[in-house]
Amino acid sequence: MNTLSLITQKERAGLLQNQRGLAWLLAYSAVLSAFTLLLISNKELSLLDNAQVVYMMAGTVTAAGTMIAVILGADAFAGERERGTLVPLLTAPITADQLLMGKALGLLSAWGVMYVLALPYLWAVGVGGQNLMQAIIYLALFGTPVVLGFGYLAMALSARTGSVMTSLLTSLIILLFSASPLLIGQGLRNSVIGKALDMVNPFSGALNTFDAVIIDSDPFSSQISRLILVIVWLVITFIAARLSARRPVFR
Amino acid sequence: MLIEASHLKLSLAGRHILHDVSLHLQAGEIYGLLGPNGVGKSTTIAVLLGLYSADAGLLSLFGETDKQNAKEQRRRIGVMPEHAGFYDWMTANDYLKWYAGFYGGLQRPVPELLEQVGLADTKNQPIGQFSRGMQQRLGLARALLHGPELLILDEPTNGLDPRGRREIHNLLLNLAHEHQVGILLCTHLLDDVDRLCSKIGIINQGRTVLEGSLSELLNQQQIGRHFRLHMEVPAEDQTPLPSGVSLVAQEGNWWHFVVNAENQNSFSTLWQDMLKAGWKFSEIHEEGGGLEELYLRLTTEANKPDRKVA
Repeated sequence: MNTLSLITQKERAGLLQNQRGLAWLLAYSAVLSAFTLLLISNKELSLLDNAQVVYMMAGTVTAAGTMIAVILGADAFAGERERGTLVPLLTAPITADQLLMGKALGLLSAWGVMYVLALPYLWAVGVGGQNLMQAIIYLALFGTPVVLGFGYLAMALSARTGSVMTSLLTSLIILLFSASPLLIGQGLRNSVIGKALDMVNPFSGALNTFDAVIIDSDPFSSQISRLILVIVWLVITFIAARLSARRPVFR
Repeated sequence: MLIEASHLKLSLAGRHILHDVSLHLQAGEIYGLLGPNGVGKSTTIAVLLGLYSADAGLLSLFGETDKQNAKEQRRRIGVMPEHAGFYDWMTANDYLKWYAGFYGGLQRPVPELLEQVGLADTKNQPIGQFSRGMQQRLGLARALLHGPELLILDEPTNGLDPRGRREIHNLLLNLAHEHQVGILLCTHLLDDVDRLCSKIGIINQGRTVLEGSLSELLNQQQIGRHFRLHMEVPAEDQTPLPSGVSLVAQEGNWWHFVVNAENQNSFSTLWQDMLKAGWKFSEIHEEGGGLEELYLRLTTEANKPDRKVA
């Protein structure tokens, strides 16, 4: 087994193949179940249309994914340091890039499990309505770079600060700031500042795409600028993580 | 030469940590790196391991100064950090197999490796259930699993009981003498150094204040070892003392002697010579001196800037 696979295997096992991993998967499923029940009951009361419900579910899965990515990313280097397991990794014949990529692949595995777990819920709320398949495809296409980008951001902070608490808090504040345009009213979002924020905010980019393709049935060609935005976000955070991982705080 | 480090300097966050550190270790040697807390021992190890890049000085590992080859050099080094961290949810067996994967797989079966460090029958136990001493032993197993040519051990006997310490001592001596492994031992336990190390380096305030073979350094520094002997019959004035032994005080039946550095390799012969010469004593107590005195002398003279190499 090569070095990258070994690191990924450990990340995946630490996350998914023990009681702690099982607990968070159960918690995630419980949240999706509760949210699905809420959406279906509102749909049956005709308070929400089918596409709106699918959009909200896709947004919820993306938000949960970024949250988990931030937690895992914050733990990636600083958690290893605090547990005393970072030095054995840094002194083994592993390059910084292999360590970073192994951890990113572990994070992607977690996102993959979350994505697969979300599929039956998406089907449950969207069956018989429009654009369910678009939701599934666009959740993978836009959700993955946003989730991975937040993971890289948290990893960069984790390597740079050496503290899980500091990197987690900082990443969560950035995540909250990214999600804030969605929390403010439509009027504010349409203001100059709101639009400017939307243009550079990958989280908004993904959710606005879900809105456009699921609710408004817009074609892919109209989403290319948003796809570029989330990919640029991914590249920037990857570079930051790569630079930080070369000289992580280890003591 | 496994490690050749000369005049290393390092600053971190604008603070000078290493001013002038030198360290030379050959195959088959056990080198004791000594110094008070916070003087730069762990930082020196971090520089040797490539975790920090020295600002100045020469560093050569296995005769190579090329940092591009760091990954390959790490394959030849076994490291036991001060905090032997593990993943609690893994078993010793799973962990060692997994970690060995970075070095191309296990060279020996895990049970054999665990047996070597005194952890037989624990291979399927989660590491989270291990005591501190057991984790130290597992840390040593991790450092040994790929058959390294150079071992860098930071406080390897911390948390071990006396039997455990003795077992680890024997293991390290065997590795150095039988397999020509070079061992860099960073410890505060002078007893470990006294028993294991053929060479020492003392760091104080970021400088190597002394480096060389232990016996040469004790000789050079004129440091003897102090003993208190209980005399059954007071010796006559004319009773001769072996060379290198001097009487320094008498307190009733307890007589105090200093043994010079050159006599410190074979105390049993020394006591036998004294008995043959007519000295009649029933108890021997060591009172200090030797490495302890050398260490205290060099680390309390805090501003001593000159480096000495024996």
